[in-house]
Amino acid sequence: MELNVNGRSYTLDVPAEERLLWVLRDWLGLTGTKFGCGVGICGACTVHINGAAVRSCLMPLAAVAGAEIRTIEGLAERDGSGELTLHPVQQAFIDHQVPQCGWCMSGQIMQAVSFLERNPLPSEEETVRAMSGNYCRCGCYVRILQAVQQAAGRAGEEEAAI
Amino acid sequence: MNQERDADGLVEAQADSIEENSEEGGADGREPVPPRKRRWRLSRRGFLIGLGAAGAGLAVGAYFGRPVLHEVMAESFAEAEHAGSSFMQLPDDPPLWLEVLEDSRIRLSLTKAEMGQGVHTSIAQIAAEELGISWEDLVVVQADTSSRLVDSFGTGGSFSVASSFGPLRRAAAGMRNLLQREAAAILEQPENALLVEGRGFAVADDREKRADFHRLAAAITDWDLPDEEALQLKQADEYTVIGQSVGRIDIPDKVTGQAVYGYDMRVPNMLYGAVARPPTLEAKLLSASPGEAAKMEGIETFLIDVESGFAGVVANSRSAAWSAVKAMETEWDEGHLWQQEEIEALIEPAGEGGVTIQREGNAAGVLGKEAAISATYRSPFAVQASLEAPAALADVQEGQVTVWVSTQSHERAKGLIAEALGVDADTVQVVPTYLGGGFGGKLDTGVAIEAARLSKAARAPVHVGWDRSEAMLHGYLRPPTKSVLSGAVDESGRIIAMEHRQGSSDVAFSFMPDFMAFVMGADFGATIGARINYEVPNLTVTAWRKTLPVWTGWWRGLGLFANTFAVESFVDELAAEAGADPLQFRLDHLPDSPAGGRMRAVLEAAAELSGWGTAPRAGRARGVACFASNTVVAQVAEVSVDAATGEIKVHDVACAVDCGLVVNPEGAMAQIEGNVMWGVGSTLIEQAYVKDGRLELNNFESYPLLTMREAPDVRSVLVDTGIKTPYGMGEPPIGPVGAAIANAFNAATGRRIRTLPMTRTRVLEALAGGGS
Repeated sequence: MELNVNGRSYTLDVPAEERLLWVLRDWLGLTGTKFGCGVGICGACTVHINGAAVRSCLMPLAAVAGAEIRTIEGLAERDGSGELTLHPVQQAFIDHQVPQCGWCMSGQIMQAVSFLERNPLPSEEETVRAMSGNYCRCGCYVRILQAVQQAAGRAGEEEAAI
Repeated sequence: MNQERDADGLVEAQADSIEENSEEGGADGREPVPPRKRRWRLSRRGFLIGLGAAGAGLAVGAYFGRPVLHEVMAESFAEAEHAGSSFMQLPDDPPLWLEVLEDSRIRLSLTKAEMGQGVHTSIAQIAAEELGISWEDLVVVQADTSSRLVDSFGTGGSFSVASSFGPLRRAAAGMRNLLQREAAAILEQPENALLVEGRGFAVADDREKRADFHRLAAAITDWDLPDEEALQLKQADEYTVIGQSVGRIDIPDKVTGQAVYGYDMRVPNMLYGAVARPPTLEAKLLSASPGEAAKMEGIETFLIDVESGFAGVVANSRSAAWSAVKAMETEWDEGHLWQQEEIEALIEPAGEGGVTIQREGNAAGVLGKEAAISATYRSPFAVQASLEAPAALADVQEGQVTVWVSTQSHERAKGLIAEALGVDADTVQVVPTYLGGGFGGKLDTGVAIEAARLSKAARAPVHVGWDRSEAMLHGYLRPPTKSVLSGAVDESGRIIAMEHRQGSSDVAFSFMPDFMAFVMGADFGATIGARINYEVPNLTVTAWRKTLPVWTGWWRGLGLFANTFAVESFVDELAAEAGADPLQFRLDHLPDSPAGGRMRAVLEAAAELSGWGTAPRAGRARGVACFASNTVVAQVAEVSVDAATGEIKVHDVACAVDCGLVVNPEGAMAQIEGNVMWGVGSTLIEQAYVKDGRLELNNFESYPLLTMREAPDVRSVLVDTGIKTPYGMGEPPIGPVGAAIANAFNAATGRRIRTLPMTRTRVLEALAGGGS
């Protein structure tokens, strides 16, 4: 089975019914994508498949063969000299000191990035609606909202500059 | 500021190997030094320990076992004083130490687990402050059990910063003092002519003359502890690091997916385990066999031990292990099939066994004669629901056991793993990882024992990660409570008598030997928040300990949330009886004491922040509540009620907290926000109940959590009343949330809901004039 994750191609011998979450974590060692509930409620396992945010805990491997999969590990960009540039959403999450325990944060960030790619200048209400499928047990919701709105502002400025 | 972890990915990254590698200095061709022999010397007052060491030289440790912890706990839980002795085993080794590295940075090794409360950052700030070094020159390491750092208490109770503060400052100041003395000798200058510059001491007038910490530390051969009284600790107005909002050191790794938790631990050739679970609360395993699972693919081995109730499987993938354990044949004696009504009937605050924890005057006498009001409040079972389910990786080899686990108490895990495997505890190394949430739930170490037993059976490293259903059903829960409050006010509007009869199952007592429960009387975990902090001449608070067939225990804030809901709802009912404004009524009943003054300060601050006394937006109403331990908290919730759907919307919570000295204000604010979300979730949504012998829990569809959609805005203010030591912040702000919302609901509708959670059904019942 061919799998394309974060721009890298992997050939894997994995049962086709295995869920993408466990393939990422246990076969590829990409443990940044987290297991929360296994039934698609909490959003901790959110990754991008062809740019869309999906719950990897429910996604059979066979359904994503050949798709472009992006995980939290593939979000920041590393330039030729190895310097890491965080995605604006990641930077906003640092600026607002969002994470507490951090377990849900990969999912929150992947959800936010996908949302902002589709809706670069959302209203607060739209952001709340888009982010309300991702649980944060530590209760970082005030800061998540602030950070996503800040990241949206940046994305907007960049677009305006172009 | 850097952070090293001992659980950074694969197996070679253990704290000891980091430690020894850094001392070997292989890159510059120096001879490796042998592992150092540490000799601890207790100072006169017992909290500073010096170390004579080979290799890199000086280290200084701080001991905060009995004296400090006992002091801090006694302040929080008056009952704990009555115990007469500490219930925890006292450590022989210090739970944190500072040492000089080869590159002259200073490493702080600590035992407190980082579960999102920001404790590594706060403790590092305290150390950097007294050492006088810059933030970047301090390295923080989470210690494992092989580090010789012993912390029997674990991480919890909002004690970490409070209990570390004094000992760590003295240790850091002592270390600085030793280094400064040596610098004076080497540089041939008086001590007061020197200052810390970068990673060493320099002569103030001639900065070219300097000696780095490593050179100084290596030169100290015969050390002599500074007299603790002579240590020049910084005064609060001299702080430059404490009190600053520094960026938490764990956050960058948490936004890039690099932070490693127990569920993420991996080693080469690891396998995956799963364990069969009892179908009912009282189920006992009668027999077990592999059954159909034996034919499944990917199975490595089974471990069945009926006597200890254990039936588990090891497979080459997690999915295979989870499928196989479901296919195993197990037979159980289900025991009595408990129902919720039976459980609720047990939580009756009446009958024999009540322990009076607070008494003034003669409440019963007054309440018998005067026109009194009475009300009954209830709270349900609740689960911690950390989003990272319990997880551990164990590698059991002959003579050496290593376990990586998300735990609030790795020292306790070590002892229990050794006992379960029948090996010497000295051969067990427990490596704590980051925790994906703890909230009291990860003081349980069951998953680590399961991984260890399965690893021994499989002769390979085995990871056990619980699924969501296991996490909800097989840990302990927040106990259900029932509080009956009675009280009377006189014609002038003064409370003349109050009685609080409180019933709960165990919190702390679930984890203590029976004799301790006997000695202590009331479970301080169950009763926290049950006391009345107002000036009331006749007052009785009595707690009943009730034993349930459901395992109950630690949960964020312990009994604080449920008890404060009851007490502070009832204070509003008394205010209504007196015809008084709820805020003014509280202010009028504060004791004339320092504690009363602090309550006044937070009540007034929360009132100001919320606009109390001004008209809220149309359709909204406000409620106030407060809580006082060593940390004092007041909150004003602003809510609206949809009479058609029964939905309570909490728009805003204004929160004022005096937690003493604030080490990291931004981190403190984050803890307030998190506590408020927990409180709102528990007030409006969260509940678990028993049906047909089992908890009606499975996944988040049966136990939904608060989402951003229901989350209020939280505005908070940290109130400084001049206290120069830090108290806890991880739990106290959860206390008033339920009562503030219930009081706001009452202000909005004239109705009162006394049973949590305030579901739409209960709201509609209350609006129709019935309900609780």
